[in-house]
Amino acid sequence: MITLSNLTKTFGDSTAVNAIDLEIANGEFFSMLGPSGCGKTTTLRMIAGFEEPTSGRIELAGEDVTWTSPKKRNVNMVFQNYALFPHMTVRENVEFGLKIKKLEKARATERIERMITAVRLEGFESRHPAQLSGGQQQRVALARALVNEPAALLLDEPLGALDLKLRKEMQLELKSIQQQTGTTFVYVTHDQEEALTMSDRVAVMNGGNVEQVDDPRSLYEKPRSEFVADFIGTSNLLKVEVETWDGDIARAGLGDGLRITCRESGDRASAKTITVRPEKINVHAGPVDPGQGSLVRGRIIENVYLGSMTQLIVELSTGERLIVHELNDDSGGPSEAGTEVYLSWATDHSFVIEGAAKAPDQQAALPAGAESL
Amino acid sequence: MGVPMADLPTVTGERPGRLSRLLRPLAFMSLPTAVLVLLFLAPMGILVYFSFQFGDLTGSTGFTLTNFTDILSDPLYREIALTTFQIATIAMIAQLIVGIPLAYVLAYKAGRFELPLLLALVLADELNPMVRIYAWRMLLGREGLINEALMSIGLIDVPIDALLFNKFSVIVVLSTSYLTYTVIPIYASMKAVDAGLFEAARDMGAGWFTTFRRVLLPLIAPGIFIALLLVYVPLFTDFAAPTLVGGTTGYMLGNVVSDLVLENGNLNAGAAMSFLMLLAAGLFSLVAYQLSRIKQGAK
Ligand SMILES: Nc1ncnc2c1ncn2[C@@H]1O[C@H](COP(=O)(O)OP(=O)(O)OP(=O)(O)O)[C@@H](O)[C@H]1O
Ligand SMILES: [Mg+2]
Repeated sequence: MITLSNLTKTFGDSTAVNAIDLEIANGEFFSMLGPSGCGKTTTLRMIAGFEEPTSGRIELAGEDVTWTSPKKRNVNMVFQNYALFPHMTVRENVEFGLKIKKLEKARATERIERMITAVRLEGFESRHPAQLSGGQQQRVALARALVNEPAALLLDEPLGALDLKLRKEMQLELKSIQQQTGTTFVYVTHDQEEALTMSDRVAVMNGGNVEQVDDPRSLYEKPRSEFVADFIGTSNLLKVEVETWDGDIARAGLGDGLRITCRESGDRASAKTITVRPEKINVHAGPVDPGQGSLVRGRIIENVYLGSMTQLIVELSTGERLIVHELNDDSGGPSEAGTEVYLSWATDHSFVIEGAAKAPDQQAALPAGAESL
Repeated sequence: MGVPMADLPTVTGERPGRLSRLLRPLAFMSLPTAVLVLLFLAPMGILVYFSFQFGDLTGSTGFTLTNFTDILSDPLYREIALTTFQIATIAMIAQLIVGIPLAYVLAYKAGRFELPLLLALVLADELNPMVRIYAWRMLLGREGLINEALMSIGLIDVPIDALLFNKFSVIVVLSTSYLTYTVIPIYASMKAVDAGLFEAARDMGAGWFTTFRRVLLPLIAPGIFIALLLVYVPLFTDFAAPTLVGGTTGYMLGNVVSDLVLENGNLNAGAAMSFLMLLAAGLFSLVAYQLSRIKQGAK
């Protein structure tokens, strides 16, 4: 288990990592996701021991390793540029860690061979890194780290240098190697799809802070902040003044039978914004009974055919725009640009979140009971 | 256009022969280059020619091997060769011990001081060798700074004579004379090595020495090889330092050649000695080259 408590790193007067707390369980595929410069690499390097924290604590398996040298930590790193030893063969690269640990010859050989098989590099043992493709180099880097049987493997954008197709292949391969070996993976990426498809849990980072730690589904369906909602997938954000709270359900009437209901997700006091995913919105020609859900009215202003679905942009009376994804399965409602439509979605598919990120005057809040269109 | 194939002149006939392929690069060599090469090779040819000649007071000349047999059978020369080997080797090792860390600091740690330091290193070499050597004499001599300093703090009562005019002083002077040529090639080869490799090694449990021996050293072997060519070989032939600070125990092969030619006026023996040293240098370069290839895993 890896525990980070109150971990902070400053460079000069800029804070790269800001008092983060994380707990990563044994055998977990844990990702750190966030835009460039948000502190992912710095965090990973602190876990590996290459960067000394400014303050805070790092524990590996219950042991405080905050000031322990990297060579004494039972974790291994896969570097973004692989950092393979160019003068050694594939086999010598993989052997390196075991030679240093002076592992007995027979056992070392057995481990190396098992590892080379696991990453499908049989037949390449005597090649040098320069004679390998990017994907093969990536696999050597993986084998070189995993052969040490670390408690956790730290990977810094390991697929960043590969083309899309190879990336997808390696994603599956990484995941299956992780499951086979049961090793804890701490995986850094700025590719949200990668993080969502591979991870057990994801920490979304922003400006040195951890915004949310959750399993991929919750992260997508229940974003806790505007940043997360925006960063993960496409999301609609609406400014709303909540009128009443009913348990964890917030309600705002918009008059004319129109209303918004959604679930609590973030901090109730600062709740000003709601999120709803484009594919959760249903389009109707006339007013319908949304049951417990939300119903709003607007006009289609744009219609883009995307193959399996159509993307509509619907403008509300407030000037706010919603993106709607309609499956092209012949069941859909109106989709012509210019048409007035009603949009509905279930309560469970939209959440009130903290809405501090954007300036309030940028999008006028939907005033409670205001006339729509 | 539609020109029939058969009408095209056959430009691409047969493959040119092996000899003409070998000679083709020569065509690019202009006349000035050829003259320069000739001027470079001519003295060497003359050197070799003289080393196989004898000349006596009567002025008669002719082919002989005695120049070589004389040198090779003389135990005094063997002793001087051994001294030369000792001095050159120790000076070389000293420079590597100082030069490799210096190159490391320059390449990875100096940051914005990298260029100024590099410049300082190059400028240090611009210092006139005579001035440098006399500066060392002022440092190491009986009334030199070191002795003065040691006496003034009361560590010694009488000046240490062992600092100057012996092997030690030759080694000290030679070690500092060629440091630039040791550091620059090693520094250049380090610049091509990704510092991330050291982190990777550390990540897998390697200490600094293992990282140096198993990762950095093999990768900078070509740079060390060039440093050896640039420094170790000239160390064998240097005669300024041993002449000025060598005394009698720091007498080297370079002095033998200059004394044979300038003092004894025996050009033939001097040429033979030079020729032997040239052969040794060639042989050494070949061995060093092979070794550096092995270290690199013979890519
Ligand atoms: N050695 C350093 N000196 C000064 N500032 C640094 C250093 N390393 C990182 N930073 C700063 O710390 C912040 C976080 O950097 P970090 O490399 O952790 O980002 P990241 O999330 O890995 O970004 P990316 O996705 O681009 O790799 C950045 O603003 C960066 O400029
Ligand atoms: Mg990074």
